[in-house]
Amino acid sequence: MEQFLQSIDALTIKFTLAAVLLPLLAFVLNMCFGARSNKFTGWLSTVAILVSCVLSALIFSKVWNGHQVHQQVLWFTIGNTSVYTGILLNNLSVLMLLLVSLIALPVHIYSIAYMRHDSGYSRYFAYLSLFSFSMLALVVADNLVLLYIFWELVGFSSYLLIGFWFTRDKAVIANKKAFIMNRIGDIGLLTAIIILFAMFHTFDIEKLFGPDGLVGKSSFITAQIEFNGQPTRFESVWILFASSGNRALPAIWQYIAFAGIFLAVAAKSAQFPLHTWLPDAMEGPTSVSALIHAATMVAAGVFLLGRVYPMFNSTELTILAVVGCFTAFMAATIALTQNDLKRILAYSTISQLGYMVMAMGVGAYGSSLFHLVTHAFFKCLLFLAAGIVIHQMGHIRDDNNLSIDPQNIQNMGGLRKKLPFTFIAALIGALALVGLPLTSGFLSKDSILIQAFEWSGDKSVFLKLIPVFALITTWLTAFYVTRMIVKVFFGDLRVAESTPALKVHITDGTWLYKVPLALLAICCLFPFFSANPLVYERSWLFGGFGNATNPEAVNIYHALVPVGVNILSILVIWYGYIIYTKRRANPFPQTGALFNLACNEWYFDSIYQRIIIKPLLALCRASFWFDRRIIDNFIVFFAKFSIGLARLAAWCDRNIIDGFLNLLVITVRTIGNFVRRFQGGKVQYYLYSMLVVILAIFIWIILDGR
Amino acid sequence: MISLTDFMMVSAGLFCIGLYMIVTKRNAIQILIGIEFMLNAAILNLVAFGKFDRLNNGGQMFALFAIVLAAATTAVALAIILNVYKKYKTIDPGQIDQLKD
Amino acid sequence: MTLVQVLFYVMGFITLSSAIFVAATKNLVRSVFMFFITLFGLAGLYVLALADFVAITQIVIYVGGVLVLILFAFMLSGKENLNYIAGQNNKFISVKKVPGILLAVLFLIVLVNVILKADVNNLAWVKKSIELKNNIQPDAATTENIGINLMTRYLLPFEAVSILLMIALVGAAHLSRKGDNV
Repeated sequence: MEQFLQSIDALTIKFTLAAVLLPLLAFVLNMCFGARSNKFTGWLSTVAILVSCVLSALIFSKVWNGHQVHQQVLWFTIGNTSVYTGILLNNLSVLMLLLVSLIALPVHIYSIAYMRHDSGYSRYFAYLSLFSFSMLALVVADNLVLLYIFWELVGFSSYLLIGFWFTRDKAVIANKKAFIMNRIGDIGLLTAIIILFAMFHTFDIEKLFGPDGLVGKSSFITAQIEFNGQPTRFESVWILFASSGNRALPAIWQYIAFAGIFLAVAAKSAQFPLHTWLPDAMEGPTSVSALIHAATMVAAGVFLLGRVYPMFNSTELTILAVVGCFTAFMAATIALTQNDLKRILAYSTISQLGYMVMAMGVGAYGSSLFHLVTHAFFKCLLFLAAGIVIHQMGHIRDDNNLSIDPQNIQNMGGLRKKLPFTFIAALIGALALVGLPLTSGFLSKDSILIQAFEWSGDKSVFLKLIPVFALITTWLTAFYVTRMIVKVFFGDLRVAESTPALKVHITDGTWLYKVPLALLAICCLFPFFSANPLVYERSWLFGGFGNATNPEAVNIYHALVPVGVNILSILVIWYGYIIYTKRRANPFPQTGALFNLACNEWYFDSIYQRIIIKPLLALCRASFWFDRRIIDNFIVFFAKFSIGLARLAAWCDRNIIDGFLNLLVITVRTIGNFVRRFQGGKVQYYLYSMLVVILAIFIWIILDGR
Repeated sequence: MISLTDFMMVSAGLFCIGLYMIVTKRNAIQILIGIEFMLNAAILNLVAFGKFDRLNNGGQMFALFAIVLAAATTAVALAIILNVYKKYKTIDPGQIDQLKD
Repeated sequence: MTLVQVLFYVMGFITLSSAIFVAATKNLVRSVFMFFITLFGLAGLYVLALADFVAITQIVIYVGGVLVLILFAFMLSGKENLNYIAGQNNKFISVKKVPGILLAVLFLIVLVNVILKADVNNLAWVKKSIELKNNIQPDAATTENIGINLMTRYLLPFEAVSILLMIALVGAAHLSRKGDNV
């Protein structure tokens, strides 16, 4: 039996390795041979991800709610520390594995058609495969070092894909911003990993965060610090009582580790304050937005929270809840006022991620992950539908030589007649986003809301606001989704009003477009997740995370919250429909402080620009100036100094050394001239010299005789 | 009475002036005058010492002869100067340096 | 200070100052005329040295002969000569003259030194001659003395001088003749 299990485990590990490494192989092949066979690269990547998907399904079926598989080998040893590398497959891992490959597959198929006319076709699929590889590897990594590596690699692939059309300035700025903000998160993650290692001396996720992990065994105590036997002070200490020896650090380090994890999550999952990169990341192709920035990469933050969940204490969890709630609310308000279709969806993503983080904060671990999965499906679906809409709007623009922005919803309208399939798919996705019954979104969202209310039951008044705001956010979500759907698909084509005789030849697209949409739409409905459409605890996914204490808890929230929320949501939808179809004068003010606040994204971008970017650029310029003027001038000063020295040497040579010779010459010449005068033939000189000699003799005689 | 020393002083002064003129002057005639000065100084000396030789009166006799000879010298010298001027068109002794090396 | 001494000093001063003027001036005409005064001063000194015949002879020969000869020589030599002379630089003390002045001054110092050392007033033969009353008295008749001595004791030099004068005359005349002069 042991042997059998072991061999099954070995097979599972092999499957995992294959699933993870196949996209890497696709990436390498596409990079090497990409230029030649254009269409082949797309199919290569798709086949790779399809095989990964199948393998992931197999692995999932084996490991889900079974025993976890953990295999590792020795990587390197430094001193006394050995670092292992390996694969950890528990519920969370295999769920994410399946999710990622299941989302990536429709996106690959869709991209084959979507990027057909792009010149960077093979480069695109190479990057897409790289991303798939890194995301799959991220979810099965078994130690923190490996996790960090793939965390960074995922950020890097995102950077490459956002700036895919790198000839556009906006795309380059956007991907720089995304990368830099992700770097801030990476620093946080690295700090947290190092602190955890310093405390627990291991990187292994299983050892740290498993059911009997070290993190769970550590706690805070108030210790009396002794010095030479005299008690001096009390201090809060983070301490681990382990069989291998106790270890203690000041308690502040645990909070710093939490702060690091929080930064990483905020950067990757676009929470406040590091959320501004996600709307700008919409500069990339829409299929990229669908895969990365809706479903998978941004979910990596929540996945990390899921991995390290045992290390948080209640204060930290509360902070998470507050931040998540705030982010959700803020993003929803901004999404109300945006006119760019992809930006609405981007802010919607931020809002839903806020929900997930808040769910983690209130202790709804399973709900958070549930929402992650359902959100992946319906957000990806919405993005792919938006991609089709934008593509067709682009066709309208090209056919009629207009200069409209194909992403602006104010130009759209009435597209449900032209694009029926897309309309139905988008509608299903939208309903799931709102969270109406019979969709998967209903189950996950309401589970979060209910658990939020339960958690806040015995908390302070301030914290009781959190579920309230979550509720408000739900209704805001309903409103902006309605606005979006109605403006895009209902009414009349607005651009046709300004341009009469508009040629509108748009269709739904080939099977390459339709099949992914269909696949994702099916997964947005409840049967995929639970037999019971109304009770979330019955969902198999929820059950996998062992949080369900009593399946049908008899408390008031279970009954009140779903009913109240959904009735109000339907009312809001109806209201929005009426406003936007009947096109009455908009009752909401289009100006004013609140509108401006929402429309300008709560001014975060401009604040960051002014407070952080500008001083940093000034610092860059200052150091450039310093380098150019002072350091280079230092060298120039040396050069000038040598030149001056050379000149001095030349002067010396010319005047002193040659001058010495000249002096000799002049002396000889003067003496010669002087002596020559006595032979000059001038008689008076002769006489003079005679007289001088006589005088000299006389003087000598006189002096001698004295 | 006038002492011999006084006469000799005057004579010495005159002699030196004559010497200066010979060495410095750029005019042959002025050199001639300088020579005359020197001669006159010597004659003055002779005459001064001749006071003490009444019988032979060597001093004054010699003075006479010196004067006469000086006159002859001057005549011949002037003739030479004339010739030099005819040939070299100048009486500057500094210009007449044909005998140099 | 007897009158004789005063007179001597005056005469000596005239002589020397005019001699200095002759030496210093650049103007040839002026120097010649000052030479004239120097000669007269000298004649006065001769008189004070109790040699009156020499003084007169000096005036007659030197002033009347030599000086006039010199005057004629350069007055008749042409205007360009005078101009040339006048055109020279008129610095009183120029650098070129310093060696000459130095030489003259040193010579003067040497001579004065020797004179003072010699102490001629106290020479043996001078004292002896004063004792023997061999010195000329102020009221002596020198002319007679000179005449007698000239014809008796100094006859040979006298005749020789006359021959020399003739030679000089002939030579000067020959030298300054017109014609092919070498």
